[in-house]
Amino acid sequence: MPNHWFWGALTIACVIWYSTITIYVAIKGARDIKNMLARLDSVRERDAEKS
Amino acid sequence: MTNFNWLLDGSIVGLYLLVTMVAGLMVRKYVGKVEHFLVAGREMDVYLGIASLAATEFGIVTCMYTAQNGYEKGFAGATPGILMALAMAGVGLTGFVIKPLRDSGVMTIPELLEKQFGQRIRWAAGVVIVLGGLLNMGVFLRTGGQFLVLVAGLDVRYLEIMMTALLVGVAVYTILGGMLSVLVTDFLQFVVMSAGLILVTILILMNVGWEKLVSTVDTSYGAGGFNPFVNPTMGWQYVLFNLMLNTAAVLTWQTTIARVLAAKDTNTGRKIYTRTAFFFVCRFLIPGIWGIAALATLGPVANTLEAMPQYLSTAVPAGLMGVLIAAMLAADMSTDSSYMLTWCSVIYNDILAPFRKRPWSERKGLFWNRTIIALIGIFLLVYGLWYPLKGDLWTYLGVTGTIYLASISVLLIACCYWRRANSWGAGASIIVSAAIPIAYLVIEQVPSTAELAKSIGPYYSGIATYLLSGAAMVIGSTLKPRAEGRPAHA
Repeated sequence: MPNHWFWGALTIACVIWYSTITIYVAIKGARDIKNMLARLDSVRERDAEKS
Repeated sequence: MTNFNWLLDGSIVGLYLLVTMVAGLMVRKYVGKVEHFLVAGREMDVYLGIASLAATEFGIVTCMYTAQNGYEKGFAGATPGILMALAMAGVGLTGFVIKPLRDSGVMTIPELLEKQFGQRIRWAAGVVIVLGGLLNMGVFLRTGGQFLVLVAGLDVRYLEIMMTALLVGVAVYTILGGMLSVLVTDFLQFVVMSAGLILVTILILMNVGWEKLVSTVDTSYGAGGFNPFVNPTMGWQYVLFNLMLNTAAVLTWQTTIARVLAAKDTNTGRKIYTRTAFFFVCRFLIPGIWGIAALATLGPVANTLEAMPQYLSTAVPAGLMGVLIAAMLAADMSTDSSYMLTWCSVIYNDILAPFRKRPWSERKGLFWNRTIIALIGIFLLVYGLWYPLKGDLWTYLGVTGTIYLASISVLLIACCYWRRANSWGAGASIIVSAAIPIAYLVIEQVPSTAELAKSIGPYYSGIATYLLSGAAMVIGSTLKPRAEGRPAHA
């Protein structure tokens, strides 16, 4: 059986990269949501003051 | 027989559904304008963008086809994922097309096309995008339902009712919260989906073993199971067609582009592309490994599409089964919500544009956007779930996708980088890219010409569509006389 190092390395890379990015995005993404809603809230308040 | 446990796994799935619905409904209060509804007020940052893009582009239908690729082609079946990752990384790094697109401040692709090609081409492009997208999406619900029924061992009679309830739930939070609800639920769905995908893959690698996976592919497909160029069902034409298809999808698929348009600035949009690129390798390779594991465990089966869910129904233990089903529901819900919203954005922004002689109030705009999403939901139920599709599903997806991708990618590239491009070229490109795939499908269905279609094959036909669509743009634009100082569409 030939040595299929390419697919072996790619599979390991997928599992490691995907696990890491999931944890990283879970933490950073929650912060992004919080900031996005805060910015939208301030826009909403500004619009309410104008009207 | 399945390992699904109603109490344990059912509770995990129920909890996931409850949290998603609550989160989706909570953000509806932030929607005050059409811009909030369609592009989240352009406030999306990088990591939320990565979660949303990854969750949107992975549905149960994706999982089924990529697993089928693994079952039928071995590791070589993951080639389209590698090509898509390369295309996405290249576009993200260079900003090719997506930079001028985001810089322009438009909400949809046809809106940018109008600046170069005029209002008629904007409208025609909108129709092509919506038709291609909706017909493509029409098969998602049934395929998703098939997976869930097989894995959970449910009675097939409940498929329609189960998927209708799921679609209604998704439609409710999408109608109320628009892109904001989509982003927040996409984030939750990304985390749940990724946890399920990673855990099940690790379980398979531990239980089946890498050596057995490799030897199964080697025995079944030889070198062709590892190298697409020597695989008799693939070859260079498969690789070239998929390179064209995936590059066009990265540049123009409205659900992907919607993340660039909702990003808070151009650099954020480019970073989302660059950092999500490798996900597309995982998107093909991880379910591909599930498909290979099904081949190694079940051997030859009558329906290769159902091999992977059949295998998982007994290979995944109770507890993890709940995580797997929640993950797949997450994958499907995030795809459905994003797809409904993005096709709605094109219908509202571009197809209905000629009917808005005067600007509509925000309230009226929101009302129409919500109505359009509800109508798309009804269409999906009638067309995709209650109407059984006949014929080969893969050909169907390929044809509907190519009709859209070939013409819109040519129009978009020309619009961004070729000042001479004009409405004649754009019109010719749209006609050519619709005519070739439809002609191929007709030739394939007519008995007297079926052999001719077989000798041409879908990959050569696809390659010809992209090349001739580009040629039509050049010839049409060159033929049209252009007076100095006038816009290209005048």
